[in-house]
Amino acid sequence: MNLFRAEEHARRWSQFTPRAEEGFITLADLAGFFGTESRRHMLDPDYLSMWYPRRAAERRAYLESIGKTSPFWMGTPDPPTS
Amino acid sequence: MADPKLMDRAFQRIMRSLVQTGRAPHYAELGRAMGLPAEEGRALLRDVMAAYPIGWLHPETDYIASFPPLNNLPTQYRITVGGEQRWFAQCGFEATSATWLFPGQTVRVDAACLDCGDPVTIEMRDGRITWADPPEVVGHLAFGFGASRGRSYYL
Repeated sequence: MNLFRAEEHARRWSQFTPRAEEGFITLADLAGFFGTESRRHMLDPDYLSMWYPRRAAERRAYLESIGKTSPFWMGTPDPPTS
Repeated sequence: MADPKLMDRAFQRIMRSLVQTGRAPHYAELGRAMGLPAEEGRALLRDVMAAYPIGWLHPETDYIASFPPLNNLPTQYRITVGGEQRWFAQCGFEATSATWLFPGQTVRVDAACLDCGDPVTIEMRDGRITWADPPEVVGHLAFGFGASRGRSYYL
């Protein structure tokens, strides 16, 4: 999960693969993705027990809100190919 | 598994140590801070890491390597706050979350672009991006989330 100077820099990266073409995210969307509600409570005394467990659902909801619903982003298995 | 309240306290001790000093405590320090013998501190650390699996210990050790959004092991994502470059982010994505650990302060992220080595810089304050250089800075997920992708998505 990296930051690049621009998309064309990522495409020139030695580890870039064709599948990773769907891996781009704007800086604004990234800040939102990693700024969901639970992230704002990392210094709260009950973060681990109360806030961290909410993180996965928040991430899924945020990714859906920006249209990143593919298995690549949602972390779900790829559909079988026939 | 340790008592949840004790785990919450231990988590905060680790996170706040990272924020205040730039490094995570050793389990012996964690145990002492919790009023526990060192060996119980080690067990407590392992319980906390098991409950926070987005972080990890360095393989075959009890040293905290990663405790996101920050990293105890240096990465290319250098974090500067108040003019001090004391921290590292786990990855480029987690770097954008470090802002929530420093409320009311400007958090600067400096990295080298993996393609050309030229600088990538962003600044954030209370979750808002206040500066990006170049303005075209973009995030990139190389291998996809999930174990089925077969590669570490932190790369």
